[in-house]
Amino acid sequence: MTKISIDPITRLEGHGRIDIFLNDDGNVKNAYFVVPELRGFEQFCVGRPAEEMPRITNRICGVCPEAHHMAGTKALDDMFKVEPSAAVKKVREMFYMAFYVTDHTTHFYALGGPDFVVGPEAPPAERNILGVIHKVGVDIGKQVIECRIRNHEVIKMLGGRGVHPVAGLPGGWSQAVTPEMQQQIQETAHKNVEFALFSLDLFAKLVLENQDYVDLVLSDAYAHQTYYMGMVDKNNHTNFYDGLIRVVDPDGAEFVKYDPHDYPQQVAERVEPWSYLKFPYLKKVGWKGFVDGKDSGVYCATPLSRLNAADGMATPKAQEAYEKMYDTLGSKKVNGRYQPVHFRLATHWARLVELLYAAERMLELVEDPEITDPKVRTTVKLPPTAPFKDIPGEGLEGVGCVEAPRGTLTHHYWGDEKGILKKVNMIVGTTNNYAPMAMSIKKAAEALITNGTVVTNGLLNKIEMAFRNYDPCLSCATHSLPGQMPLEVNIRDADGNVVEQMSQYTQGN
Amino acid sequence: MKTLVLGLGNPILTDDGVGVRVAEAVRAALPPTAAIEISEASVGGLELMERLLGFERVILIDALHGSRYRQPGAIHRMTLDDLRAISPTQHSASAHDTSLVTALDLARRMDFALPRELIIFAVETENIVDFNEEPTPAVAQAIPKVTEMVLAELDG
Repeated sequence: MTKISIDPITRLEGHGRIDIFLNDDGNVKNAYFVVPELRGFEQFCVGRPAEEMPRITNRICGVCPEAHHMAGTKALDDMFKVEPSAAVKKVREMFYMAFYVTDHTTHFYALGGPDFVVGPEAPPAERNILGVIHKVGVDIGKQVIECRIRNHEVIKMLGGRGVHPVAGLPGGWSQAVTPEMQQQIQETAHKNVEFALFSLDLFAKLVLENQDYVDLVLSDAYAHQTYYMGMVDKNNHTNFYDGLIRVVDPDGAEFVKYDPHDYPQQVAERVEPWSYLKFPYLKKVGWKGFVDGKDSGVYCATPLSRLNAADGMATPKAQEAYEKMYDTLGSKKVNGRYQPVHFRLATHWARLVELLYAAERMLELVEDPEITDPKVRTTVKLPPTAPFKDIPGEGLEGVGCVEAPRGTLTHHYWGDEKGILKKVNMIVGTTNNYAPMAMSIKKAAEALITNGTVVTNGLLNKIEMAFRNYDPCLSCATHSLPGQMPLEVNIRDADGNVVEQMSQYTQGN
Repeated sequence: MKTLVLGLGNPILTDDGVGVRVAEAVRAALPPTAAIEISEASVGGLELMERLLGFERVILIDALHGSRYRQPGAIHRMTLDDLRAISPTQHSASAHDTSLVTALDLARRMDFALPRELIIFAVETENIVDFNEEPTPAVAQAIPKVTEMVLAELDG
């Protein structure tokens, strides 16, 4: 079997890579995305007090520490059986919305932006945030950075420290919101709503008014019919902080809605001999390979998936933006809800709808009179349990689940009767999307590789576009220099010999 | 001169945390002063750039992995130009964040107050994939050396 590897250059070994396998005819057989294999996390955690987990897990990812902190904190609520007060939940959710605003903003302008704003055909040297700023103007660039900075302030203020928050406690939050904090956060939230609306307008101008981009978004090359997963509230509206996990089938009918505790009954992991990655799929549908359709257990958990899985958004302006997106993309309403949008590149649009929701929700929460409740801590007592003897059901166990920007995030801890950890399991956001990403990369590669002929022009860009819309989290934990992930393509013949080599890095040199 | 000494890296990923440990050692060696802020962060790209705004001089300490002549524990004193030379930034958008070089170029383009002086101490690593609080011996040995180099830089 021929193998094409899109590799980072050697000095970045351990970072992401794309492998494309060809069959004997020189056509694409399989494609997958390799993320760094970090080892020994469970071993690292076992023997530590569970309450350290929100502070440990927020170190495993430099990109979404807030999501791990929140999932870990919620797992502790569950483990120690302490239900947080309504005020605590609101403070946590407000903190989490500030994180969502920064994360989605960064993705659209710095990461997805180069594909749309600068264009997929632009030379690699221009396809970065500098190229975006060049195109849209310095003022917008300043707004992006200001948006990040003001929300990082909120994260720092509420989370107890910047970047790696420490405020999450079982059943509580370490500090209350003072009236002064409330005022600052309110100003930030107002600006966020304005900025989100502005970003949606910008998307409309730059993408929707450009027929080439519209065609690209609507093209079959970037479409997949799969199941979609996302967290919903009691009204089946998208929620990032808490709720049930809803899965809809490719036609939009609800397949299942489950409590996050039940994930082991719903999600299984497929092991393939050619990758150490495990591919999650819907257990009750079954694994049928890397294929689309109702009979395939492949599901997707992204901003677009969350919107597809929900009946709508819980805030008014986001709901308007949601309806506009589905109407524009030709989705029909069946039984009162829109049919799923399968165009993967629409994920960028969905991300902006979510940005607006996060901004509006932050404003709602900060204006809630309960948000300044000084009582945010609670007494935690060890729940009585039989001593842990490596038998499931004994000792203390907790599951915590949130929507991370890049997919449903689940933490599951098992401890002894004192809460000393015995085992941990996590399904991180990006993991959910391994199979869909492989399928998208494969489809993009198929369009560019036929009978052994490789269209080199734009190959890297188009494959990058296929996976970037999933916002994959490769940089898990490591931030060693130079902190970049250039791609390299190795095209190998049937014997595995490299016959051609390309990379974004060498192209420009 | 308003100075920031920033140790970068993940303290629970074996050698990746070398920068954080050096920052801790620098803090222990210096009397507290208003002019020098010593901190640690596990960030890159835009967030790192934002952290540097408003300082006149910045000393970063980070792990360097997979250089061409791998020699765990080797220390490199670099400037931004050196980083630019090894960074593929000009040619690629990263999958998740932009690189520091791009982020700084962006900040310059927007007239943000960037440090006049930026020095980077990079320590070559052996292992950045295993979760562990202890660095490998070669990297552990480099920590006091880099600490001395940072202190000398601050004196100079």
